[in-house]
Amino acid sequence: MMLLIQIAWRNVWRQKIRSLVVIIAVALGLFAGVFASAFVEGMMRQKIDSVIRLEMSHFQVHRPGFRDDMRANLFIEDVSALRQALKDEQAVEGVSERLLVMSMLGSANATGGITLMGVDPDAEATVTDLHTKVEEGEYLPANKRLPILISQEMAEKYKAHLRSKLVLTLQDVNGDMTAGAFRVVGIYNSGNNLFDEQHAFVRKEDLRQLIGIPVGVHEVAVLLNSHELAEPMATQFQQIFPNLEVLSWMDLASGMRYLVEAFGAYLYIIVGIILTALLFSIVNTMLMAVLERVRELGMLMAIGMNKFRVFGMIMLETIFLAMIGGPLGLLLSWAAVAYFGKYGINLSGAAYGEMGFATIIYPYLDASSYWNVTVMVIVMAVVAAIFPAKKALSLKPAEAIRKI
Amino acid sequence: MNQLVVETKDLFKIYPGVVDVHAVDGVDLQIEDNEFTAIVGPSGSGKTTLLNIIGGLDRPSAGSVKVNGHELSGMTDNELIDFRLKHIGFVFQSYNLIPVLTAEENTEFILLLQGTPKPERELRVRSLLKEVGLEDKLNSRPSQLSGGQQQRVAVARALASKPDFVLADEPTANLDSKSAENLLEIMAQLNQEEGITFIFSTHDQRVIDKARRVITLEDGRIVSDERR
Repeated sequence: MMLLIQIAWRNVWRQKIRSLVVIIAVALGLFAGVFASAFVEGMMRQKIDSVIRLEMSHFQVHRPGFRDDMRANLFIEDVSALRQALKDEQAVEGVSERLLVMSMLGSANATGGITLMGVDPDAEATVTDLHTKVEEGEYLPANKRLPILISQEMAEKYKAHLRSKLVLTLQDVNGDMTAGAFRVVGIYNSGNNLFDEQHAFVRKEDLRQLIGIPVGVHEVAVLLNSHELAEPMATQFQQIFPNLEVLSWMDLASGMRYLVEAFGAYLYIIVGIILTALLFSIVNTMLMAVLERVRELGMLMAIGMNKFRVFGMIMLETIFLAMIGGPLGLLLSWAAVAYFGKYGINLSGAAYGEMGFATIIYPYLDASSYWNVTVMVIVMAVVAAIFPAKKALSLKPAEAIRKI
Repeated sequence: MNQLVVETKDLFKIYPGVVDVHAVDGVDLQIEDNEFTAIVGPSGSGKTTLLNIIGGLDRPSAGSVKVNGHELSGMTDNELIDFRLKHIGFVFQSYNLIPVLTAEENTEFILLLQGTPKPERELRVRSLLKEVGLEDKLNSRPSQLSGGQQQRVAVARALASKPDFVLADEPTANLDSKSAENLLEIMAQLNQEEGITFIFSTHDQRVIDKARRVITLEDGRIVSDERR
């Protein structure tokens, strides 16, 4: 075996430029595929984090039907049992009980529909990062009367600024129209334009008075200590509270389940396509190498090198080509992912923000993905080796020796 | 009478076509141990085909070929490769060394394929390269050697496995006269001193002059068999 490895290795370097071209092609192809995948993976992770840490938390509890048209009278009247059950669960990191209504927001300059969230600022801070996203003013202070936190997008649209008065018009619990004047105390920017366009925050007790719900909440948002627990925990709480609707973030955020599953396969699809293209390049190179060495291969078989060894030698040469380029590409990818994973890629000029994605992307790829890509490279190398190796086996020594 | 190394009976090799070509046409041949035999004849007379069949590189259309009593025509491809490895040494016209290996490694190659232990390999390889006058070229690759030197490495490699005989197909065809003379001297010496059997196919008068037996082929048939 050492003999075969030695000969195969030296054969790789007989045509240095040709071998280097293939090695570089494999390295760059793999780098492109892995980095593109890490970019998408990073983008998705940020999207998931944003969905969880800003919009959905890990799971939410509602009255059945509330999510259909957000009617104010569909609230959970008694939250105590749910509150206790959540308190007993170790995986729960934070709970926010919210009131939630569709509202018209009006300023002196514009009017538009928004989702108004009534929150307890301290409890909300245990579930979302909203308090860290305030760019101007404060985060719903207790000492101000009827404060409202709006987004930068809203501030621009409604030409509002700190201390501007905004009028909220909405339906109360009886379905009657009611209105309240709130003063802007803070302006936030979550980096997710879609979210920002739509959401404004007031104190829960202020909203409670406005819509006339003395007790109870519309929504209980729960943050866990692990993303992976979201679905099992939602299922568990649904079983405990069958009269309520308990949904994980994957089911709450429209299209997220599809998106996560689709992008989960992205790495393997893109790397698979690149490796398939590289496979043909390697087959071509190795086929040339075999056809150039017909006489030599014939001589090897003539003097006693059996077919298994000839096959193995060509396989090894092909595998060497791929396995030098492969790790090189993976190393490049790892370095690029590590660098940009730390410093980010600023795409604020692109339209990612408009689609609800972060504008600074931090590429990410977990260790198992590198391992899986390595396995894909090995499989590609072995597949690429088969045809040239079989071609070598088809040679007849007596004829091959006489080939010029 | 010495032991029979090669024995063919009613050997045919026919290449079918619009008109069948009888490359070997009913050859009966016996070659004994220690012979230094040249198979001669014009181009297309069937020398190389006959040599290929004797060496187990090609199969006859009909007839029998035995090497040291082993019938080759019934062997599978893998059995033939194994048989060649153990019993036959080859020297080809175009040197045919492995370009990425040194002279020492090329010579050692057959022994590695046979699984010979390292100390024995080293001893044999160095002794063979010394015999062919290349003890100072152990680490040279074929591209660093002259044609004559490469052919001497090929002889050393052919002898490495202690074969029953060495088949040499036009071994001097690509050599200048001095290198050819030198190579022939070495092979003649190996034949006389160590009793190694050589069978050549050749056009080269110098080889024919050195041979102790000259078999002439024409149209695939033996037309003369002269012992000297």
